[in-house]
Amino acid sequence: MSHPSASTSTTTAPGGLMAYRTIDIVTAATLGVAFGVAFWGWNQLYLLIANISVFAFPPSGGLLGGPWLIAGVVGGLVVRRPGAAVATEVIAAFVSGMLGNQWGFSVLVSGLLEGLGVELVLAVLLYRRFGLVVAMLAGACAGVFESVYEWYSYYPDWDLGYRLAHLGFFALSGALVAGLGGWVLVRGLARTGALDAFGPGREHHQRHAS
Amino acid sequence: MTRPEARQHQLRGAVLRANPLVLLAAGLLVVPGSFAVRSLPIGLVALGAYLLAGVVLLPSLRPALGRLGVVMLASVMVVYSTWLLGGHEVDTALTAGVRVLVLALPGAVLAVYVDPSRLADELGQRLGLPARFVVATSAALQRFDQLGQTWQHLDRARRARGFGPSRNPVRTFGYAASLTFALLVSALRGATQMSIAMDARGFADAHRRTWAEPVVWTVEDSALLCLGIALAALPVILYAL
Amino acid sequence: MTPARAALRGFGWQPLGRRAPVLTGLDLAIEPGERLLLTGPSGSGKSTILRALAGVLGASVPGEVSGAVEVDARIGLLLQNPGDAVVAARIGRDVAFGPENAAMAREEIWRRVRESLAAIGMPYALEHPTQALSGGELQRLALAGVLALEPGLLLLDEPTSMLDAANAEGVRRAVLAVVAQTGASLLVVEHHVAPWLAHVDRVVVLGADGHITADTSPQELACMDPAALAGDGVWMPGLPAPTPLDLPATLVRPRHAPLPLRAESLAVELRTRTMRGPVTTPALRGVDAELAGAAVTAFTGPSGAGKSTLAAALAGLLVPVAGRVVAPEPAWHRWRPRDRAAQVGWVPQNAEHGFLTSRVCHEVVVTANRLGVEVDVGETLEAVGLSHLADANPYQLSGGEQRRLAIVAALAHRPPVLLLDEPTVGQDRDTWAAVVGWAMSAARAGAAVGVASHDPALAAASDHEVTLERGRVAIR
Repeated sequence: MSHPSASTSTTTAPGGLMAYRTIDIVTAATLGVAFGVAFWGWNQLYLLIANISVFAFPPSGGLLGGPWLIAGVVGGLVVRRPGAAVATEVIAAFVSGMLGNQWGFSVLVSGLLEGLGVELVLAVLLYRRFGLVVAMLAGACAGVFESVYEWYSYYPDWDLGYRLAHLGFFALSGALVAGLGGWVLVRGLARTGALDAFGPGREHHQRHAS
Repeated sequence: MTRPEARQHQLRGAVLRANPLVLLAAGLLVVPGSFAVRSLPIGLVALGAYLLAGVVLLPSLRPALGRLGVVMLASVMVVYSTWLLGGHEVDTALTAGVRVLVLALPGAVLAVYVDPSRLADELGQRLGLPARFVVATSAALQRFDQLGQTWQHLDRARRARGFGPSRNPVRTFGYAASLTFALLVSALRGATQMSIAMDARGFADAHRRTWAEPVVWTVEDSALLCLGIALAALPVILYAL
Repeated sequence: MTPARAALRGFGWQPLGRRAPVLTGLDLAIEPGERLLLTGPSGSGKSTILRALAGVLGASVPGEVSGAVEVDARIGLLLQNPGDAVVAARIGRDVAFGPENAAMAREEIWRRVRESLAAIGMPYALEHPTQALSGGELQRLALAGVLALEPGLLLLDEPTSMLDAANAEGVRRAVLAVVAQTGASLLVVEHHVAPWLAHVDRVVVLGADGHITADTSPQELACMDPAALAGDGVWMPGLPAPTPLDLPATLVRPRHAPLPLRAESLAVELRTRTMRGPVTTPALRGVDAELAGAAVTAFTGPSGAGKSTLAAALAGLLVPVAGRVVAPEPAWHRWRPRDRAAQVGWVPQNAEHGFLTSRVCHEVVVTANRLGVEVDVGETLEAVGLSHLADANPYQLSGGEQRRLAIVAALAHRPPVLLLDEPTVGQDRDTWAAVVGWAMSAARAGAAVGVASHDPALAAASDHEVTLERGRVAIR
C-alpha cells in the first residue's frame, strides 16, 4: 500500500512497545486533559450548529461525532504504544463528564469504546504504521464502535436503515475529522518541536535533514 | 436517640463523604440498567426512584438542577429523532427520552461530588491499576484549570489580532482548530516540563511506589453501593416481570 | 545527606534536529558543598548543563549526548516556570510525591513532608490547595518537593526569572536557607546575576558558543569588564540598562491618531472554569486610568495587582462588570475584533499564545492582511534581528526570538494604541532593547503605549506610571 507518509510514519516507540517512559505516560494523560478542555471550548462554539443539524435529519448528527473521536487518534499517533489511544480518549471523556455534559458517566463507556476502535486498527498493524490511511481507518473504526453503542443506548427504536445511515455518517466523520484531522494536527505539532521526544517529531526532523 | 434533623444532616452529607468509586459505580451501573427501560412506566418508575434518592441524599439540589437542564436537552433531541425515525410513535419516543434521562442523569449529577485526587488513590490502591499511570493522570488533571485559562488567553490573543468566532460555521471551525492547535502545543510543552520535574523526583524508576494516604471504605460506602446496584437493577427487574 | 560532587567531562550535546551541537568538550566540576552560579547569553547551553546533571537529557529531552556525566548523590531540580512541577491538588501530597516514588513508609513520608515545608517557610496547612498558591509560593513548594528527597546537589534553572522582585527575594531566601541548613552543593543558572553574587562561592560564565569564558570568584568578577565576558546579552552587575533600539518611524508610526482610551471606575472579574465549576475572582475594582498619546504609560505593582487585567481591558478583550473603558459606540468590548485590531495592538505575556501561522514571515502580515494594510516584511524582521528566521516555524524559535516575533506580529500593522503584557519578563538584554525600543519609538511617533510590567528598568524608561495594588490604583 502506498500513501504519502508510508515511508516516514513507521518509527516505532523507543525501547520495547510496553516500555512506557514518564514522558509517554504524562503526554497521553495531558493530551487527554487538553482535549477535555477543548471539548468544553468547542461546546461553547458549536451548540447551535449541532442542534440545527440534528433537527434537519437526525442521522446526520453522526457527522458531528468526529471531533469527539480525535483525542484517541492523536494519543495513538503520538505515543505509539499499546493503550495510549484508549487512555487519551478515556481521560478526555472523564474530563468532559466531570464538567457535566449531557451523557453523564456513559461518556466513559463511549470514550472506552472509541479508544478501543482506534487501538484495534493500530494493534492489527502491530504499532508500526501511523500514516494517513491508518489514521483515517482508526477514526472510522472509532466512529463505528461509538455508533453501534448509540444504537443500543440512545436510538434502539430507529428503523434499521436510519441506524445504518447514522453509522455511515459517524464512520465518515471519524475518518475525516478524527482521522485526517488528527493526522494533520500531529504533523503540525511535530513542526513546532513539541513532539521531538516522539515518533512524529523524529520523523519530522528526518524529513528535513534529507 | 437521633434527632430527625441530625439524621437528615447525616444523610445529606453521605454523598460528600462517599468513596469516589461508589459514585463512579453508581453512575456506570445505570448504563446497562437503562437498556431495560423498554416501556414508559418502567422508565418513569426508574427515573422516579433516582429522583427520590437525589432529593433525600444530595446536600444541595442546585448543581443537580443545572446538570438536569443539560441532560434534558439531549433527551428532547432523542425524543424528536425517535418520533421522526421510529414510525411516529409518541409512546416509543417518550420512552426513549426517559431512557436517556435514566442513563445520563445519575452520572452527570454524581460527577459534581467526585474528587479526582481521591479517585486516583482508590484506583491505584484498591483496584490495583498501574501506579505510574494513575499518578501521572492525576497530575495531568491538576493542569485542567491552567489549560482552561490558556484557552481563554489564546482566545484573547486571536481577538486582539482581528480574528474571532462568527456566525459563519466554516470560519468558526477554523477558529476552533486554531485554538485547539495552540492549546495542544502549550499542553505538550507543559507535559515535557512536568516529566522532567517528575523524573528528577524519581518517578522514572518508581515501579514499586508507596502511597502517602490510605484509602478507607466505610459501612456507609457499602450501603450507598447497594443502593446504587438496587436502583440500576430496578428497571431490569421490572422488565423481567 | 552528604553534599554531592558532580562533574561533566568532555561533555557534548546536540539536540534532535539541530545541525550543530549546543555544547562540545565541556569540562565542569562542582565540589561538595560548593555554591556555583552559572550564567551566559540565551542559547549558550546553561539549561543543558543543568538537565545533563539532572539526568533527564536523552529521555524527556531528545538528542545526542557525548562525554561523561558524574554525580555521586541524589540531585534536586527546580525549573523556571512556577507550577511546572506541581503534581497534586494539595501541598502535602505534592511534597510527598518524591518519597512515594522512593517507596518510603507512611510515617517517614509525612516526617519528610513536614520538615521540608517547614524548611522553606510555607505558611499553609498540608491540606491547602496548590491551585491557590502564587508564583513565588509555587516555586517554594517545588523546592520543598525537591528537599523531601534530601538531595546532595540542588540544581536551579532560572528559578526567579518569572517572578516579581518581592517573590524572587522570597524564593532566593528559601534556597539559601535550605543550602545553609543541609550543606548541599548548589548550582544556580541565572540571567540576572547581581542578586545571587553575595551568596555564591564561584561564578562560571558561558560565551555564546557554549565555552567557558570565565571561572572565577564573585569578588574577582567585579573587577572584570562585564560586557567582554558574555557579549551584550547577560545582565551582568555594573552594566547600565541597555539602550532601547531606535526603530525607523516607517515601521512604528501610527496610521491614524489614537483613540483617547480611558478606564472609568472600571471593575473586572476574571472567570475561570475549574473542574468543580466556574470560579470568579475580582481583578479590578473601580480603576480610573488613562493612556496618553505619544507616551509610554507603565502599569506597575506586585503580582496579582491587576496590571495585566487592566492592559487587556483597555485592549477591549475583557467584559467589565462595572464602569467602562471610554471609547466610541458600541461598548468597547463589543467592537468587532477586526475593527478593534485597527485601533489597538495587544501583545500577550506568553508569546506563543498569539501565533496563528506556521511561518515567521506569515506571522508578521496576518493581522495586516486582515485589515488591508501593507507591511514591509523584510524591513520589519530586519529591525528586530529575525531576518534569518523568516521561513522558520514560530514555535521553533528561542524564547527571546519568540518575544520579538510576538511584538512585530501584534504591532506590524501600526495600530495607534499599543498594549504590552509583561513584555520583558525573563528576557536577555538584546531582546529587552528591541521590545522597549519598539514601545518607545512608537510613542515618539505618536502612539499611546501601555505596558503592564514588574520590571523596574522598564518602568524607569516610561513616561507615566500607574501603580496598582489589589485591583485599585495606588499612587498616581
